[in-house]
Amino acid sequence: MMKIFGATLVVAALLAAGGAQAQKKTLVIGMGSADAGKLDPHVASTTPDKGLLQYIFNGLVRIKPGQISPDTIEPDLAESWTSNPTGTEWTFHIRQGVQCHWGYGEFTAEDAAYSIKRAANKNTSSYSNDFSSIASADPLDKYTLKITLKNPVAGFLGYVANINGGNMVCKKAAEEMGDGFSKKPIGTGPFMFAEYQPQQYVRLTANKQYFRGAPMLDEIMYRYIPSDSSRDLAFQSGELDMIYGKQDQSWVDRTKQLEGVKVLAMEPGELSTLFLNITVKPLDDIRVREAIAYAIDRKSIVGFKGAGSSREAVSVVPSGYLGTDEHAPLFPYDPAKTKALLTEAGYPDGITVKTVHTTLTGMETFIEAIQAQLKKVGVNLDIQLVEHATYHAQIRKDLSPLVHYQAARFPVADVYLTQFYDSASIVGTPKAVTNFSHCNVADDEIRAARVEPDPVKQKELWKTAQEKIIKAVCGIPVYEQLQLWAWKDNLDLGYDLKGSLNLAPPVTEKTHFLN
Amino acid sequence: MTAFLIRRIAFAFVTLFAVLTLVFVIVRILPGDPAQIILGDQASREAIEAMHIRLGLDQPIALQYASFLSNALRGDWGISMVTGRPVLAEVLNVLPWTIELTLVSLAMGIAIGVPLGVWAAVRRNRLVDYIVRIASLAGLSFPAFVSAIILLFLFAIELRWFPVISAHKGSVQAWTQSITLPAVSLGLNSAAYITRVTRSAMLEVLSEDYVRTARAKGVPQRIVVWRHALRNALIPIITVAGLYLSTLIGNSVLTEIVFSRPGLGKLIVGALNQRDYTMLEGMMVIYTLAVVVVNLLSDLAYGFVDPRVKLA
Repeated sequence: MMKIFGATLVVAALLAAGGAQAQKKTLVIGMGSADAGKLDPHVASTTPDKGLLQYIFNGLVRIKPGQISPDTIEPDLAESWTSNPTGTEWTFHIRQGVQCHWGYGEFTAEDAAYSIKRAANKNTSSYSNDFSSIASADPLDKYTLKITLKNPVAGFLGYVANINGGNMVCKKAAEEMGDGFSKKPIGTGPFMFAEYQPQQYVRLTANKQYFRGAPMLDEIMYRYIPSDSSRDLAFQSGELDMIYGKQDQSWVDRTKQLEGVKVLAMEPGELSTLFLNITVKPLDDIRVREAIAYAIDRKSIVGFKGAGSSREAVSVVPSGYLGTDEHAPLFPYDPAKTKALLTEAGYPDGITVKTVHTTLTGMETFIEAIQAQLKKVGVNLDIQLVEHATYHAQIRKDLSPLVHYQAARFPVADVYLTQFYDSASIVGTPKAVTNFSHCNVADDEIRAARVEPDPVKQKELWKTAQEKIIKAVCGIPVYEQLQLWAWKDNLDLGYDLKGSLNLAPPVTEKTHFLN
Repeated sequence: MTAFLIRRIAFAFVTLFAVLTLVFVIVRILPGDPAQIILGDQASREAIEAMHIRLGLDQPIALQYASFLSNALRGDWGISMVTGRPVLAEVLNVLPWTIELTLVSLAMGIAIGVPLGVWAAVRRNRLVDYIVRIASLAGLSFPAFVSAIILLFLFAIELRWFPVISAHKGSVQAWTQSITLPAVSLGLNSAAYITRVTRSAMLEVLSEDYVRTARAKGVPQRIVVWRHALRNALIPIITVAGLYLSTLIGNSVLTEIVFSRPGLGKLIVGALNQRDYTMLEGMMVIYTLAVVVVNLLSDLAYGFVDPRVKLA
């Protein structure tokens, strides 16, 4: 009996040793959505799609993997670049010998020019607005690209970095496939699109010809697992190596208890703002808007959301962006002032404000907490819950005097200020984006900063813009929600992860398993 | 029989047409804009309007309806507004998963439910009967997603017998491992349902005169119960199993989500959330067809199990 037992042990040990020798080469990522959307980098706008596409594509430049600050911009497909002093003419020198996936040929300046025009075209891109200042993008020779701008653009390099419209597609593939491009996206990145199984996964295989060197991993399996608990369980059972977390603090606390696991609340923070429509009664009265601002207790909201996964807002622009005023004069929590202001404005018995709100869990618990805070000072927040797509449609039709919106943007103040506070972006107008408050108090500063070549003056303008917006109470910034991820600690990402503008951790040529 | 079939098929067409029209109207009444969802929240209104034109949503509603109907009649299901993939291909991709899960769990439901129901009816008001009644009531009231999580926790995490991601194919072993937990989760619920129906149908039959006669002339209990009584109790059981088949297809969505399996349920929920008009319309046709076909089949089955039923 002992002999058999001993023999079994030996066999088991041999098997285990054999297993250890065959190093794990497939990274399995669990994403929190039911299926892939449109896998075209110029169209994709959701976390699951952007997270995947970043493994396939490069920009002309890139934000250093694991970082989100535009200060870390480094060469990607372009080895170097120059611009004229006013920043309206940019010349990029494209790296030689970069190959497009699956034999679509060398990536040249012509591909780069094509890609930028494609991203600027409203028929083929969700990000055409970002490129509205581009006058021309033309190849000078095979490896030189010249971009001419109608006016200087704040943080222009960010628009040709490896996110959204800055992702470089290969011309031949995009033209050949047309609408079919999203079924087989072709880029130049470390991993190539190999297979899609509906509602199950996308499989990427290593691009052995990758210009930074062949990836150490062989494959990425990007699995679609919409249920938070199933993702957690599959992570525990070892079927997944990296997961998109349930976005709340209790998940962080629970997952940290597991052995051999790293949990990270990463950048960028999505800023939750309450936008007040300054054109409708009673919110058109500045005293009423100030009253509401004084009633919001940011500190207790962060306590409620969890200090490990959220933080207080610092300004109407998220913290850490180029141009954010990190010490902006936000209204302090002062409920006594609320009552006084409401009385002064002629509402001694309080007011009722309507909000159309989504049923997305994380956002819903937040607005209920806000409702409780407002109730204490006589502001009755009438929450009308609708499902998410309805919410998005209705807030864009001015049906919600108070709009709660949660968003992260490219980390340059201009983007946030333009989309949410420039009067050109007011909902319902032709250039409408997401100015729900009808704010128009800082147009001059926002527009001047956008074309200001001097960085110091530009920051001053942005600071003034933020002050004016806060003072006019177009929006009340409350807190920032970080992105929660977990992965097995035997996975070496190959870089230091602080955050990712593509909202999922990058996987580079250096990412590998330790054993 | 032929006349019956023709009438039923004609009726199915009318049903289908009514459903198509209803779906067309309802998805367009819903607030929410597919173009906005495709382009995301940073898209400008200009880009959204350009997308409307590409999707044909700028056309007058009557024109959209006409082209939708004529396409549907020609069997052209269009392409998904959100993913750009053909609707029919998307549906066919996941349909086998749904059919497989539904059939296995229904078979499980029948295999457990019918004997239990018969047993409980025969032992009416005895301990067995009480236990079966309480257990089946519990099985019915227990939400499928809770039992699913419990099953996963026990058998996939603690015992490690099955994978959490229950969507593997290739070998018989992989398939069996993948389907077991989802089928049990869904099958227990249908077993509970079928148990209760079988029990009450059997109770009714067991009190009939001919059963008493059979017993009086000395027919063994086994034959009385399984041959005489059960065969006469089958009609309500088939009706319920048929009806349940259509609800199973719908119910499976939670099971699909928890067990990370592809399926129609997930497809339709996704299409609804994203206001994918073409996908929703295509899915509705499939569901309507499924319900119509299942009903037709269970009507036909009556004739087979009970020769007294005339299909005319």
